Amino acid sequence: MEILDVKNLSFTYPKASFPVLSNISLSVKEGEFVAICGATGSGKSTLLRLLKPELSPLGDVSGNVSFCGKPVSECSSASDIGFVMQDPEHQIVTDKVWHELSFGLENMGLPQSSIARRTAEMACYFGIEDKFDKNISELSGGQKQLINLASVMVTEPNLLILDEPTAQLDPITASDFINTVKKLNRELSLTVIIAEHRLEEIIPVCDRLIIIDGGRIIESGAPKDVISQIYDKQEIMCAMPAAARISALLGEKNCALTVREGRELIRSYKNDKKAEQTTISRKTEEKAVLEFKDVYFRYERSLPDVLRGLSFKVYESEIFCILGGNGSGKTTTLGIASGIMKQYAGSVLIFGKKIKDYKNQSLYNECIALLPQDIQTVFLRNTVLEELYNADVDISSLPFDLSPHLDKHPYDLSGGEQQLVALAKVLALKPKILLLDEPTKGLDAASKLRIMSLMRDLTASGMTIVTVTHDVEFAAGIADRCALFFRGEIVSDAPPQEFFSANSFYTTAASRITRGHFENAVTAESVAELCKLNGKRSSDV
Amino acid sequence: MRGFAELNPAVLMIYYLCVIGTAMFSMNPVIITLSLFGSLVSLIVLEKKAHIKLHLSFLLLFLILAVINPIWYHNGVTVLFVVNDSPITLEALLYGIFAAAMIIGILYRLRTFTLIMTADKLLYIFGRLSPKMSLILSMALRYVPLMRTQTLKVRRTQKALGIYRGDNIADTLKGEMRIFSIMATWSLENGIITADSMAARGYGEHRRTSFSLFHFSKGDLIFLILCIIPTALIIWALAAGEADFTFYPAMSGINSSPLALTCYISYGFLSFLPVLLEWKEELRWKYLMSKI
Repeated sequence: MEILDVKNLSFTYPKASFPVLSNISLSVKEGEFVAICGATGSGKSTLLRLLKPELSPLGDVSGNVSFCGKPVSECSSASDIGFVMQDPEHQIVTDKVWHELSFGLENMGLPQSSIARRTAEMACYFGIEDKFDKNISELSGGQKQLINLASVMVTEPNLLILDEPTAQLDPITASDFINTVKKLNRELSLTVIIAEHRLEEIIPVCDRLIIIDGGRIIESGAPKDVISQIYDKQEIMCAMPAAARISALLGEKNCALTVREGRELIRSYKNDKKAEQTTISRKTEEKAVLEFKDVYFRYERSLPDVLRGLSFKVYESEIFCILGGNGSGKTTTLGIASGIMKQYAGSVLIFGKKIKDYKNQSLYNECIALLPQDIQTVFLRNTVLEELYNADVDISSLPFDLSPHLDKHPYDLSGGEQQLVALAKVLALKPKILLLDEPTKGLDAASKLRIMSLMRDLTASGMTIVTVTHDVEFAAGIADRCALFFRGEIVSDAPPQEFFSANSFYTTAASRITRGHFENAVTAESVAELCKLNGKRSSDV
Repeated sequence: MRGFAELNPAVLMIYYLCVIGTAMFSMNPVIITLSLFGSLVSLIVLEKKAHIKLHLSFLLLFLILAVINPIWYHNGVTVLFVVNDSPITLEALLYGIFAAAMIIGILYRLRTFTLIMTADKLLYIFGRLSPKMSLILSMALRYVPLMRTQTLKVRRTQKALGIYRGDNIADTLKGEMRIFSIMATWSLENGIITADSMAARGYGEHRRTSFSLFHFSKGDLIFLILCIIPTALIIWALAAGEADFTFYPAMSGINSSPLALTCYISYGFLSFLPVLLEWKEELRWKYLMSKI
């Protein structure tokens, strides 16, 4: 049965000269899991919002959307279509978990007893019973997003729409979240439409993949077929799972989607020739620009240590990547390196000088700068132009182009654009050491690649970059050295090839695909290169 | 186990109105003494820890309040001694002591009130009055800490970016002004997302109901009766003037008519009611434990 039917939908924002969506036709069957992907600005969000009347943007609409056989605007209740947005924090309305879960039911005017039953049921299903009477502010980002999902599901919608729900989550929580959505789809036959940047987990579980580009559906169908049609579209392919990217680079007709299929694919290639091992030859006399010596830190006297005897060195013009789970102390480390927080024991040396000897804010004067995780906190002005002007940025000398955005409010930019404006602001301070906290959070694959090439250019000109990230693919692609953080100290530290091939679980998908077949291949590109170098096994030809 | 804190918030509210209301309108030394010790013991039992600092500060306040009256007020027939031609009288001294005891007793009672009536309980009571009001309060309770942490984050970011790098007051003030202004923008921006999320979940579609985790049980009813009956007796005795006590010019004796005695017993019961309930629950718990 067709649950949603979109016919020739076009949409133009007021005052815009061209439509964001043109001639979209799409029908979704009950119980289908549909993933929509496309670059930022391709019109994904607009399409999703047009499917939910309460959130439809104002503008010029033509064509029609029907839901369960009726026009969607005549849909009986808001609770028939559930909608989860990107930012876990700001969709939350109330202060307590139980109140958030009951919010939708209160709006429906249900009596106490049925609200009590339904919220209890939902809390059990999502495994959040122990959080039921907690304050929402005590929860982590992933838990908050789960509450958002639960509080939408509590009204028993027939269709669930998710607009980049995992963009603000770390990869492990994100994959848990996707699995919960998949479980809802499988166990309740709930129809799901999801737009995502991070496709590694989504693609293997979805029934249908829709690619939107420039406001049009360019491909739609089973993920395998769709991906093999767009091998040559670089800007879309870069977001695909590693196995798919390897298939694309090798020009395989039968596209691999999961790690398992990827392994089967590369097994058909010989493995005689090895990758060249890159080693970092470090002269012993080379001086560290940033050094932590036995640093201990805790937030409050009565709380446990966050950093326990942390020691590491960062050398000039390298990219040092710190990886690790939530709450392992990564962000705290950057806070201490930038002098915002103070350790209670141990010392931090910047260019051989202790932080506390940098008097009068001289630490921030052409020396060190920190870009935080929450990039919005960087902006203080109403337009990008004002923002840059007040930070003494020379717009013409920037390594990237911000001219289309100068009149916009910084909050109106996409995640990738915000990151660039923030970087412009930081670069004007001419720091020698740049600290980046999760620079790829909320970015689409294309913006991620842009940030990576920018980081390389910066280190080539002598800057040292220390970055904290959850994103293993990013770390594998960019780092000179990677360090694994665990319980407040660094447990291993090595160049990415060595680092990721030594790890079996905490590693890139490409490395999991090649385990035991090729050594030291941690990115899709290097795997494809090795495959080409070795050639196919003769028996398979 | 359902102790004092787990009672229905509306019942708790009625209890506090009764116990504080009656204590405020009587200067009878018996009632004041019962009120002071009742609230003190309640606090100790309910909080389960000794607040030495709090008790010391209340003691200091007690002494100050008790001493002020005889120094300024010289009415009364029994002169104890004379300072600078002003007589210090026994009546004024005792009046000071009991007035101070009444205030401290009420302060202790309010202290237990803040301990017991957490934000969500007050929310429940206001929610009974209007579902909209309860939603607004709940949103405010979420929003205020959220804004505070965001402000802190912005301040830290700006520090690490060295934007306001001068160490002088003018620069700091200018920086704070900018942060304040961007926080206003941030609030509006997030307000829009929250409003979207509310609309998406059907806010304003029907008449709202207000859900809460509290319910009214038999225990609540019993507590309510145990609270209302003594209060009625106290009010009767107070209205009849049976529990009156005057300090000036000479102290009247403490009335010991049957109604007055009923009133004292009733007040004592009311004042120690939380303690009695906690003890009862504890005994019951011990008994139940013995069966495990």
